[in-house]
Amino acid sequence: MQQQLTNLSDKELISRARKQHDREAEGVLMDRYSHLLVAVTMPYLNNQSNLDPNVVFPALLQRLNASLKTQTIYKANEWILHIQKGYLGKPEKNTPFYPSRDGRDLLHIENTVDKAATNIIDRQDLIVRLEQALQRLNADDSALLTQFYLENKSFADLTASTGLSREKLRTQLKAAKGKLAKLFMNQGYAK
Amino acid sequence: MLSNKPNNEKVLKIFSSIRCLSKDQLPRYMEGRLTDVERHLVEQHLTDCDLCYDALQALEKQDNTDQYHDLTGKLQRYVQNSIQPVSHVHKVAQYTRKEKNKEHMLVYFWIAAFIGLGVGSVYVLRGHMRNQPPIRFMAASVPPVDSARENVATNVPVVTPTPAATHEVAATPVIAAKTETPLKPAVTPVHPDSAAIKKAAALKALQKKHVADSIHKQALLQKQADSLKKEAADKASQKDKDKTEDKKPDPKPETAAAPKEKEKAPDPEPAKRESTAINSDEYLYKAAMVYQQQGNLSEAIDRYRRIESVSSGKYVEMARYQLAICYRSKGQMGKARRMFKEVIRMDGSLKNSAQQALDGM
Repeated sequence: MQQQLTNLSDKELISRARKQHDREAEGVLMDRYSHLLVAVTMPYLNNQSNLDPNVVFPALLQRLNASLKTQTIYKANEWILHIQKGYLGKPEKNTPFYPSRDGRDLLHIENTVDKAATNIIDRQDLIVRLEQALQRLNADDSALLTQFYLENKSFADLTASTGLSREKLRTQLKAAKGKLAKLFMNQGYAK
Repeated sequence: MLSNKPNNEKVLKIFSSIRCLSKDQLPRYMEGRLTDVERHLVEQHLTDCDLCYDALQALEKQDNTDQYHDLTGKLQRYVQNSIQPVSHVHKVAQYTRKEKNKEHMLVYFWIAAFIGLGVGSVYVLRGHMRNQPPIRFMAASVPPVDSARENVATNVPVVTPTPAATHEVAATPVIAAKTETPLKPAVTPVHPDSAAIKKAAALKALQKKHVADSIHKQALLQKQADSLKKEAADKASQKDKDKTEDKKPDPKPETAAAPKEKEKAPDPEPAKRESTAINSDEYLYKAAMVYQQQGNLSEAIDRYRRIESVSSGKYVEMARYQLAICYRSKGQMGKARRMFKEVIRMDGSLKNSAQQALDGM
């Protein structure tokens, strides 16, 4: 059962945990993200001596468990990060997770791309529209995206060629992707 | 066109979703032990995913990853433990506990059911007994065994005279009223006085106690009555007309025999007044019915009146009802109506028929 569950996507696991009260599915989901949760929480544990990992992690898991049943979760990674930051930033306040408009736009496009994978006509249409959006993007962003995604250049190559730090490069890439998504969506609405 | 196609396909990569880094991918990426394709995928994901990028940065800042591995292992074990399915033994224990609970509930249910049943039956029994007062009354009024035996012994003579006696006694006033003017004044003292009847009855009771063989006495008395009857008949036949003769055989002897009848007729009543009350009522009632059927309404009315005044229970109601019918057939609608109303007020078994009769009037 555990083996089968590990092959399921986050979305399916979440829906199982919700609809069938499947504790195993929930456990598999938590297990999948446990190492990231630990890695993200470790700086806090090191900086604040009053935090006990034996208390922090169970409490975090409890919060995640409670919010899993009630909240809308588009992306598990964003949700986990939000809960973790909320718990460590303001432990007394339980801020509900709500994905941003941009995040939902991105998710929508990702879903469209996923669906188009099996449909040639849709895929062709999508490619045309994406290229149009890419052409309307400013030159820098367009060049960066082209290099990173189309020419398969790594972070290291790009930092070397542009002289930017890895973090800045990542931020720029993310921003460019966001702009592209916005253009694509507007294009869709205009159509 | 052909050269463009792979590029075109790659555009989709910008928006393809990639899973978060797995446990072994993260350290391998840090150490540069990934293939080009894999690294590119990881970097694509790192662009989007804050969680993975933050984790990567946090790990890169750490000198050694021992704490990370240790904590991850602990957390994973904790998660595993918390989702561990319930053991078989535990399940069995839970099942047996549930079954036991069920049994307990069943026992409680049956106890409650039996208690309810018992209380219900007691209640019903009490209600039943309350709704049958005459039976209790009669049972209570039944004399002790000895007297009861005596009753049985004397029942034959006691009962037989009653109809005749009541008949005669009851008949007397009517006849007196009727024959008063044409007949001799000797008839007048024959008026049915219940007190006198009672006295006579008491006397008779005393007599009964003394005289064991009441049948003989009865025969004697009847003989006397017969002789008196003959005398009275002779006297009456002289003055009475043919139409009155129809009723003579019955009432005449009574008028004559009245003085003696008074002693004899109601005698059983005080002794066993309670037990024979219903019997005498019944006879009175039947006699009245006979008169009514014969068309002698005033006699019938008189008897019904008597029943109404003396007896109790259903005969009063029946007598009143019949009285009302008599009045109605006599044309005394006011009285008839009043009687029907009384019957309705009594709220007995004849209520409906009385109501119907009243409506029909």
